[in-house]
Amino acid sequence: MLIVRDLRTHLHLRRGLLRAVDGVSLEVAEGETLGLVGESGSGKTMTGLSLLRLLPKGSGRIEGGSIRLDGRELTGLSEGEMAREIRGQRIAMIMQDPMTSLNPVFSIGDQVGSPLRNHGIARGTALRGAVVDVLRRVRLPSAGERLGDYPHQFSGGQRQRIVAAMAIGCTPRLLVADEPTTALDVTIQVQIINLLRSIQEESGAGIILITHDLGVAASLCRRIAVMYAGQIVETGPVRAIYRTPAHPYTQALLAAIPRLGAKRGRLTAIAGQPPSLIDPPAGCRFAARCPSRMDKCAEAPPVVALRDGHNAACWKLVA
Amino acid sequence: MRGEMFRGVPWLALLVLAAVGVCAAGGEGLLPFDPGELDLGSAFKPPWWIDGGDWGNALGADNLGRDILSRIMAGSRVSVIVAFYAILFSGGIGAVAGMVAGYFGGWVDAVLMRLIEIQQSVPAIALALILAAALGPGLSTVVLVIVLTYWAWYARIIRGEIMALKGRDYIAFARVAGVGTATIFVRHLLPNIFNTLVVLATLQVGQVILFEASLSFLGLGIQQPDISWGLMLSDARQYITNAWWGITMPGIAIMLTCLASNVFGDWLRDRLDPHLRQL
Amino acid sequence: MSRFFGRRLLQGLFSILGASIMIFVISRLSGDPIVMMLPNDAPLSLIEEMRRNLGLDRPLWVQYLIFVQHAVVGDFGNSYRWKMPALQLILERLPATIELAVCGLLFSVMVAVPVGVMSAVNRGGWVDRVGRVFAMLGQAMPAFWVGLLLILLFAVRLNWLPAFGYGSASQFVLPAIALGWYPVAAQTRIVRSAMLDVLDSDHIRLSRALGTPEGLIVWKYALRNAAVPLLTMLGVYFAAMLGGAFVVETIFAWPGVGRTVVEAVFARDFPVVQAGVLFTSILFVISNLLVDVSYGLVDPRIRDAR
Repeated sequence: MLIVRDLRTHLHLRRGLLRAVDGVSLEVAEGETLGLVGESGSGKTMTGLSLLRLLPKGSGRIEGGSIRLDGRELTGLSEGEMAREIRGQRIAMIMQDPMTSLNPVFSIGDQVGSPLRNHGIARGTALRGAVVDVLRRVRLPSAGERLGDYPHQFSGGQRQRIVAAMAIGCTPRLLVADEPTTALDVTIQVQIINLLRSIQEESGAGIILITHDLGVAASLCRRIAVMYAGQIVETGPVRAIYRTPAHPYTQALLAAIPRLGAKRGRLTAIAGQPPSLIDPPAGCRFAARCPSRMDKCAEAPPVVALRDGHNAACWKLVA
Repeated sequence: MRGEMFRGVPWLALLVLAAVGVCAAGGEGLLPFDPGELDLGSAFKPPWWIDGGDWGNALGADNLGRDILSRIMAGSRVSVIVAFYAILFSGGIGAVAGMVAGYFGGWVDAVLMRLIEIQQSVPAIALALILAAALGPGLSTVVLVIVLTYWAWYARIIRGEIMALKGRDYIAFARVAGVGTATIFVRHLLPNIFNTLVVLATLQVGQVILFEASLSFLGLGIQQPDISWGLMLSDARQYITNAWWGITMPGIAIMLTCLASNVFGDWLRDRLDPHLRQL
Repeated sequence: MSRFFGRRLLQGLFSILGASIMIFVISRLSGDPIVMMLPNDAPLSLIEEMRRNLGLDRPLWVQYLIFVQHAVVGDFGNSYRWKMPALQLILERLPATIELAVCGLLFSVMVAVPVGVMSAVNRGGWVDRVGRVFAMLGQAMPAFWVGLLLILLFAVRLNWLPAFGYGSASQFVLPAIALGWYPVAAQTRIVRSAMLDVLDSDHIRLSRALGTPEGLIVWKYALRNAAVPLLTMLGVYFAAMLGGAFVVETIFAWPGVGRTVVEAVFARDFPVVQAGVLFTSILFVISNLLVDVSYGLVDPRIRDAR
């Protein structure tokens, strides 16, 4: 359904050209959830924003690659076409913080209705019914009576449901969820994860879940893509990634998770810092922090296919 | 270090302010003509670049043939005097009130805040009118009105600064060590609010000049035969159809002086006290 | 909400009370208030009667209470110039002043909002730069001079609009611009910085991500947020309009409170001055009060917080 090939997004900053997304390829099938995992600054949010072409005004630009949604190429579309036909309608996004994602001075009825109105899904008298219907789908309690209420009258979990309602109103094909649970309490995180799961079952939409939390990714996704310094270093089924991580970075990331029953106080942090994306090193970008670095790592590593659609970009796997 | 100090100085603004200062201090000697001298022969003489004008009366002459340039230069004196006294007294009273209220808090502070509220419920011009009615118009009335209007502005801001300072350790140590209140005020509080006071005073200059001009224009401020820019505009107003330069030239003098002091004040604020930017 | 309103009302009443003391004290500054309250040629019997009426032989605070007692029932004495109760005169002139102040405020907001919004949307663009130059100039031009220049240009030179008078719609234009000129710069700055904040917020980003047209995002969803700080300041600006009205009304021969009071000062018509100043102060306090209430309408968070 969604096929991204060699996507490159650059930010033209005053201190130089920042290669935020540097050759990312990924695929999302209908009804599938792909977890896009990485540290902050790895380019995962920028990848999500590139799909909607919502890059920082003036500085951000997609420099190359292709984004195809149901066979339609998105990179060539005009800004107006993106707004009218893609954003909110075919691809929708859920932001990180439900506390700030809703406009404080408009009623939730207005806000949930806004995408429906703008994309011509429902108008006039039918709008109210459509809004209530969407809010029921995200299981907002007593939705019908609360259309006139304002965001501050809802709890954090309820607000995230409202944000989700705004996103799924026009039954988009693809939902980009950027850290949808990070700002929430653990119990509410579980509720929102369940909600996303049920939304997917009902609508068959594809989901890209952007997160730094491998736990959240594991509980929601069938496949995971691990990002590092603007590139995808490893993709594959959840099971394979967790059991037999192939890329040294993924291995380090997994080792850094505190596990139940592990020896106390043994939290392995990865030594060093990710490279600057303004002038990234040639070759493997993880090389400087990699425990199994070789001479060859000075050249860009090839993507090596392992079993069951599991692949990783590392010289170690070539040998 | 010295180069750093003068970076981005608005030289043009300083030049204008210096010119106003020189005109105000220079007295009669600088003026091309006696500003009060009548010369009915050159009544309504236009500025030099218009037919009928010449360099003798470079900016033209008014209905009585008085040289406008000379009168503008002479009028700067009133602006400077009013600005000086008004700022000295409103800043002084406001700073003391703000320091006392901020430092002691409690009922002193409550009383001050109520006073500020009361003061702000009477528009400055209305206050000027009632004062002019009671005391008669004149320079001292103008200064009094400005002081009554602006002390609250200083007091409110200084009070906030002092309240923030009071929480600092060294003030608390000084109090515990038994340093006298007067010493704390002079040695510790005053030096810390000095920059703020300078910035506020500079920012006030433009407003004082506008205010004096407005009052003099209404006839509540400077009286004939003294010369003030506002008064010149008031005189020229009835001849607006005969001589447009009569109402434009003094206005430009007001505008340039205000503009210069505002630009300089903004620069000083960014230099000395950037957190005052929201004023 | 009602408790909040009650508290503000009490504060307002207190301010008005304070203002009345101030006005009372100032009016006693010059010595014998009788001299100011009566024309120069008033007969001695009238002076004596007035003195008794006002209780000038009693202590100052008693005199103040008498002043308040009279003021509360609307008795500020008679205007000797207009031969009618001072309060009645002021009330007759009040609508014209309020009309002018509202028009001035409307003008300033109508300029400041679009310029502020466009400056924020196109930060560093030509609207932003031109707006900044005008703001600097605007802050340096006194209202009466702006009025004179407007008369010179539009009435004398171009002959498009009447130079003075009150009645027709065209006579509103120049006074409203002269009055609204000064606050435009400050209002533009408020709108601009509020818009910059809002346009950078998560909810606007979400709106964009869901395909809301840019026009709706700016002028509907962002602007209502940015309007809150402007609205909180409107009372201050309306009050400034009332102050500016004294000057602008005088230039444009506008039959409002401002011009009446200015004329009364020169005619030594003290009852009118007192009534006019006190009334302006009351209006001043009321406008601040109304704004506190009205901006709850725009920001639901504030509405509920009360």
